[in-house]
This record gives sequence, structure tokens and C-alpha cells, in this order.
Amino acid sequence: MNDDYLWDGSGEPDPEIQKLETTLGRFRHQGQAPEFPADMPLRRPRFWRRILPSHWSLGLRLAAATAVILLIVAIGILRWSQKPGVTSGPGWDLESVAGTPRVESGTFGKRAKAGKLGIGQTLVTDSHSKATISVAEIGTVNVEPNTRLRLMAGGKGRNQLALERGTIQAFIWAAPGEFTVDTPSAIAVDLGCAYTLHVDDSGAGLLRTTLGWVGFKLDGHEAFIPAGAVCATRPKVGPGTPYFEDSAASFRDALSKFDFAVISPEERSAGLGKILAESRQRDALTVWHLLARVDESDRGRVYDRLATLVPPPSGVTRDGILRLDQIMLDLWWNQLDLGDVSLWHIWERSWSQDKTSSK
Amino acid sequence: MSTSPAPQTTDDASLVLAAREGDRAAFGDLYARYARMVHGILLARVPANDVDDLVQDVFLRALPRLCDLRDAAKFGPWLAAITRNRANDFHRQTRTIAAATDSLSDDEAELPASKPASTAEATRILSFVRSLPDAYRETLILRLVEGMTGPEIAERTGLTPGSVRVNLHRGMQQLREKLSQAALDSSIQPHSRSGRNSTVQDKNALRRRTEP
Repeated sequence: MNDDYLWDGSGEPDPEIQKLETTLGRFRHQGQAPEFPADMPLRRPRFWRRILPSHWSLGLRLAAATAVILLIVAIGILRWSQKPGVTSGPGWDLESVAGTPRVESGTFGKRAKAGKLGIGQTLVTDSHSKATISVAEIGTVNVEPNTRLRLMAGGKGRNQLALERGTIQAFIWAAPGEFTVDTPSAIAVDLGCAYTLHVDDSGAGLLRTTLGWVGFKLDGHEAFIPAGAVCATRPKVGPGTPYFEDSAASFRDALSKFDFAVISPEERSAGLGKILAESRQRDALTVWHLLARVDESDRGRVYDRLATLVPPPSGVTRDGILRLDQIMLDLWWNQLDLGDVSLWHIWERSWSQDKTSSK
Repeated sequence: MSTSPAPQTTDDASLVLAAREGDRAAFGDLYARYARMVHGILLARVPANDVDDLVQDVFLRALPRLCDLRDAAKFGPWLAAITRNRANDFHRQTRTIAAATDSLSDDEAELPASKPASTAEATRILSFVRSLPDAYRETLILRLVEGMTGPEIAERTGLTPGSVRVNLHRGMQQLREKLSQAALDSSIQPHSRSGRNSTVQDKNALRRRTEP
């Protein structure tokens, strides 16, 4: 059924959705705006107004304010000169959630509950500590225990973390492509989402998307992971093939072997047969990715299976897919209704430009 | 369907800037514009009886922190994050480790025996929505409970329209499956024998709808 009514109320009304709206409507917000307290400070009073007695003359206030500013500057210079490893520039707000997270070469430690993670600095949590880092217009990243996380870049249009090991949960509302996380085996690119990323001591990773979708990339190896899906990654191999978490265990096992096991071409081909045979309509996500991952001799049967699950849209031909025509692959991906691939290409272009300009 | 968003004669950024300067009416306008979003996000995570109090609490937390918002145009996503954090705090404070789906049993436990059947049915359906994956339940509650349209949800929460559309579509698909399963289960319970014919009809209707 066309989901226009579900989307924006247009089109032919769906009686089942209308019934749900009526039934659930009783929980709808009915409250009126509260009286916001009149004495709540909406704007912080200027610092000097808070610290200087009101009966002082203007000259006295200026002198005192100047002395305070000079003192702050002197302390700042002193502290900065004692920390050669600390970089300056924009950073992310850092808050301790549990235990004693540590910023290498930084001041955030046992007594501090909040601080700043500067560019180039590394946040380290032990087995008992957790932290949250955030930027208002970018998002929030929860840092779980036993994690090493480095802030590589921050600023307009480009925010980059490097997860060396451990687990983070990212809730990102920046524009798609503006937030990336490097891991030892792939780069995770936010495309409007929330996700969990784990990296173990060997550098292998696992990305689980809970909202929106995420791109995973290493060299030419790419994976798109929509909500509800998972993707593993391995050093020197890159991202495996993404799959939905509710797929059959045998399907996932076959996929894991196909992606990462050292097996003969015959075993690989047999494994592919099992994956295709067990794929459900929802697993079109996985099958689409396999198009570019299988040997040319196997691509035809991947095409046939995907065409059964999700018929190719207008403009997509078998010959085109067999020669991996990028436009046709993109058209078919968009047909899966899991995210607009143009977001990915926009990020790829800007990323390539960044890499070129930084060389 | 009452899903048309309130006309935005003033954009969010202007209201935020005015509210920062102490204009309470501007903050009231932001409340009117975003209360449904906050309510829906909370309803996806905490027991229904606590939601109204928490809505006000979220706005009272946001008000003094407006100066921390660097890009005034991102008020919606920023407020959504505060709301999700507030829901997390709620569970920490009440030491409720169970997920919102479990805490829903609190809602059901509070239903008096004399509660109208329609309310019990609404609570039951809400429990199904809240048992969906995080990705879907928030979007689906904003759509089905709060009456927001997909474009409105995307605009308010900062998610891309594509993500919202996918979440609505998949979430609705899973909700239909759960409702269908529930209808199937209830039809084989002895005490439901009196309504057997209608249950079987409903079940078949749901089956037809969920079949590819």
C-alpha cells in the first residue's frame, strides 16, 4: 500500500492508521504552557557585575576588572606553558558520567566533572569510568568504559573522532557527512543517525545503527548500514557486508565466512549460494551489497536474487549491473528505500577534496 | 487528521534569540511549537503518567541553557537531545533499569479495573509501539500519538526526511505484525471464546494487510 497517508496525511486514507490515530490520540499532549518562573536568569549577568560590589566607583571597578583580567591571562599563560602536549583550538565539551575519565595531556581528571576535549587530545576511560562529549550543533557521544577516543578535527562542516578501542554511542544531528569516526579498519560516516560503534583490541569493529543510517568505508570498500542493521569490519579487509539483526543465524554465519574467513573460491561460491537462498525480502540490503563484492562469474545470480526481492527500477539493466554501473547501482539502492545515496556521494566528494588539500 | 503544523510566522532562531534576551512570550511560542515533540519523545521512553511533568521539566531545563546553544536555528535537535537525556536521567533516578517497554507495565498496573475498555486497548497498542526498536517507536509515536506529519517530524527533530520516512514505514510494518500476532494469540485463549468470530475476522483482515 502507498504510504503517503502515513507520511504526510495525503493520498488515500488508510483505515488502520486512522483507527490507530484515534485510539492513540488520547495520549496526545494536551498541556498548556506553564508559567515560566520570572526570577529564572535567562542570561548570565556579566562576570564583573557579579564579583564587584555595586557601591564601588566606576574608576575603582575598572581598575579591579583590569587586575582580574591580567591575573586570568597570567594564569592562562602559565598553565599553557606547562602543557606542551595540549593543542589549542575548538574542542568538544566533556563531562564525566562515572569514575575518572582521563584526558591525556589534559587537566580533566579526578576532581573535574566537566572540561574540554581539545583537538589532538585523547580521552581514556578505564573499566569503571564513562564520559559524554558533545557540541550543541553536532550531537552527543557517550563514551563507554575501556575506551580510547581521540578528537582529530572539530569545526564548521568537519568533525572527526578516532576510536582506537572501546565503545561509543553517537547521537548526531549535524548535517549528513559532517561527523566521522575513524577506526583501525574503517571510517564511519554519519548520514543522519544514532549508532553504536565498538572496536576491540585487534582493531576489528562492529557498527550497529539505531536511527537513520551510517556509511562505512575503507579505501574502495563501502557499506551502508540503516537502522536495525549491523556491520563488522576487520583490519586490512575493511567493512564486511551489512545485515539486519533479525536475519537467521545461519544466514549471518554464512555471511561472516564469506566476508572474513580464509576459504577457497569453491567454498566462497558455495557460501554465497547459501546466503542467497536464505535471504528474505528485508535482506535485499545484504544482497545489494554483494553485487560489488562477488566475483564477476557469481554476479549474475546475485542480480537474479536481488531482482526477485526488489525488482530493479526503470533505468537499471542486467548488463549495467553486471559491469557495476555506478548510476544503476545507486538507482537500485534508492529503490530499497533505506536512504538516499546522493548524501553519501556528497560526503565522498568533500572527503576526497579534504584529503587532496591536506596532502 | 489534525496534523498540520502551526504556521511559523517567526522562525525558531528569532524566537531563541528573543528568549535569550528575556522575552518570555518568545519562549512560550517555542513551547507551543515543540511541546508535542518533547511529549512524544518522552512517551516513547518513560511511563505515560510521568510524561506531562517531565515535559515541563525539560523546558525548564532548556530555558536557562539557551545561552549554550551556539546555532539558534538548531533549537529543535538540541531540545530533542535534552529530552532524551532527561528520559535517561529519569530511569537513573528511579533506578529503573528495565527499558521503557518494561516500564510500560507500570502504566498497565495503574489501570483501574473499571477503566473503559477503549483506554485499556489504547494502552495495549501503545505498549506494542513502545516495544519496537528505538529507531521506530519515537517516530511512530510522534506520528500516531502527537499527530505530526513526517515532514514536520523531520523539521522538528533534525532528522533527514528520508530517515523519518523509512522509520515510519518500517515501524508501521512491525507494528502491524505485532498487532496481527496479538490478535492471533488472543484468538486461541479460552476466555476470548465469546468474541471468537470477530477476533478471527480481525486476524484475517490483519493477515491480509501484512502479507507482501
